[in-house]
Amino acid sequence: MQFFGGSEISPSPPVPTASGNNAHMIYVFNRNGVCLLYREWNRPLHTLNAQQDHKLMFGLLFSLKSLTAKMDPTNLDKGNLGVPQLPGQGCSFHSFRTNTYKLSFMETPSGIKIILVTHPRTGDLRDSLKYIYNLYVEYVAKNPLYTPGTPIRCDLFDTTLDQYVRSIA
Amino acid sequence: MAPAGPRFGDAIFANVERVNAELFTLTYGAIVRQLLTDLEEVEEVNKQLDQMGYNIGIRLIDEFLAKSNVSRCVDFKETAEMIAKVGFKMFLGVSASVTNWDADGTCCGIVLEDNPLVDFVELPDTCQGLYYCNILSGVIRGALEMVSMKTEITWVRDMLRGDDAFELQVKLLKQVPEEYPYKDDE
Amino acid sequence: MGREVSESCIDSLLTEMVTTYCNRFYANKPELAARRIEAIGFQVGHQLSERYTMERPRFSDHLEAIKFICKDFWSELFKKQIDNLKTNHRGTFVLQDNRFRWLTHLSLDPTTENTEDPNGRSENKGAQVASMHLYFPCGIIRGALSNLGIPCAVSADISNLPQCSFVIRIKA
Repeated sequence: MQFFGGSEISPSPPVPTASGNNAHMIYVFNRNGVCLLYREWNRPLHTLNAQQDHKLMFGLLFSLKSLTAKMDPTNLDKGNLGVPQLPGQGCSFHSFRTNTYKLSFMETPSGIKIILVTHPRTGDLRDSLKYIYNLYVEYVAKNPLYTPGTPIRCDLFDTTLDQYVRSIA
Repeated sequence: MAPAGPRFGDAIFANVERVNAELFTLTYGAIVRQLLTDLEEVEEVNKQLDQMGYNIGIRLIDEFLAKSNVSRCVDFKETAEMIAKVGFKMFLGVSASVTNWDADGTCCGIVLEDNPLVDFVELPDTCQGLYYCNILSGVIRGALEMVSMKTEITWVRDMLRGDDAFELQVKLLKQVPEEYPYKDDE
Repeated sequence: MGREVSESCIDSLLTEMVTTYCNRFYANKPELAARRIEAIGFQVGHQLSERYTMERPRFSDHLEAIKFICKDFWSELFKKQIDNLKTNHRGTFVLQDNRFRWLTHLSLDPTTENTEDPNGRSENKGAQVASMHLYFPCGIIRGALSNLGIPCAVSADISNLPQCSFVIRIKA
C-alpha cells in the first residue's frame, strides 16, 4: 500500500488474517445521521431500499448505545433511557455477534461512526476500525475537493478501503 | 483518555509530515492582505478569517482525534487542556497553556506566547481593529463544535497590539447532546 | 533547519482559501476567483524568492534562474526538486513534478469523472475544481521569477495526477 508523502498512517494496518470473502458491508455515518459511505462486498439479501436500510442501521446503533449505557452496572451517573447523550459519554459497545454475522462499531468524539459487518467468526476488529478512521482522515478529510458532511465520493479512498477490507475479513 | 502533556504533543509533531513554517506564515499573511483589499472593511475581514478558521477546524478535528488517539471529549476542562497542549503542538509546533479558569469551569484562557502566524508581521496603522490571528479562534470554535461543545471565543491579549502574549478566552455556552436525527414519519 | 509546522496547516489553509474565493466570494465568477488566488500566490512567491536569494549573486540568464526555481526554491517548499525540466530554448520552460505535494490528497469523484453530458462535451467537474487549486502554485512561480526580474506567464497541467507540469512562458 502506498502512503502520501511518506507519512505513516497509524496504527499500521493489522496483519491480514482472512480470505477476503467475509466482509458483508461497511457504513460510515456522521453525527447528524448522514450516511457518508455505504459499501457492500457480500450481501445476498436486500429487503429495504438503501435509505431505509441506512436509517435502520443508524437507529439500531443509536438505541443499542443508549441501552448499553442504561444497563451499565458501574456508572451511577446516568440519565433515563432515551435521554440524548454526548458522543463518547457513558459506556459504549464495540461489537455484537449473531449466529449469521458480526457487527463491529466505533464512534469518535466527533461523532463519526464506522460500522463493519462481517462473518460471525471474525476476530476483534477494533484496531481495524481505527485504521479505517485514519484512512478517512488521510483520504477524505484532507481531500481539498471533499465538502465536510456530504457523502464520500473519493476514488483514492474507495480503492484503499476496498483493498484493506478485503485483507482483513 | 490518552495521556496528555507536552511530551505527548511533541511525539505526534515529530511523526507528522512537516513543512517550512515560512511558507505557511507568508501564505497566511498574503491571504489576510488580499482579504483586506477585497473586503475593505476590517470588521468583515475579522469575520471571514473566523469563518475560514471554523471550516478548517471542522476538518482538522478528525486528524487531531485520530493522531492523538483521544477517544472521548466530554469534560470541557480536559478538552481545553488537550487542545492547548496537544492540538497546538501537533499542528503549529508550539504549545499553548490554559489559564484563568472561572469558578464553574466553563471559561478559560488559552495563552500562546510563540505564534508562527505572526513571524515577520507588523500591522500598519490602517489595520486598527484587525484581529490578525482570528483564524485561530475560528479553528478552535469549529473543532470544539464537532465534539459537541458550543463556545464563544474572544481575544483578550494580542501581541500585535502590544500585549505580552496572545490569549483567547474560550467560553463554553453549552454541550449539545446527540439527538436521534430522523423524524418518525420520515 | 528553520521553524516548521505540520503539513496539514498549509494544506488546510490552502483548501479553505480556494473554497472561500471559489464558493463564497465569487461563486459564479471562477475567473475572478482564479485571479485573486493567483495574486495571493504571487505575493508569497515574490517574498520567498526575495528571502532565498538574499545572499547569492544575480543570475546570469533565464536558465540559471529557472534552475534555481527547480532546485533550491522547490526544495525549500516541498523538500524535493522538480523531477524534469524541458525547454524549447525560446523562452518556454516545462517543470514537471512527478508527485506534486499539494495534489497528493486530491481525490476525484469517481462517479463524475469523464462523464459526457448530452451535448457530447466531455464534462469533468472534478478536474475543473481541481484546477482552481493550481492557481496558487502558478502564482508562486510567477511571483518568484518576477522578483528575479523575469516577467512571465505560468500555467499548469494535471492530466496525469498526482503528476503536475508547470509551463513558464517568459515575456520577451
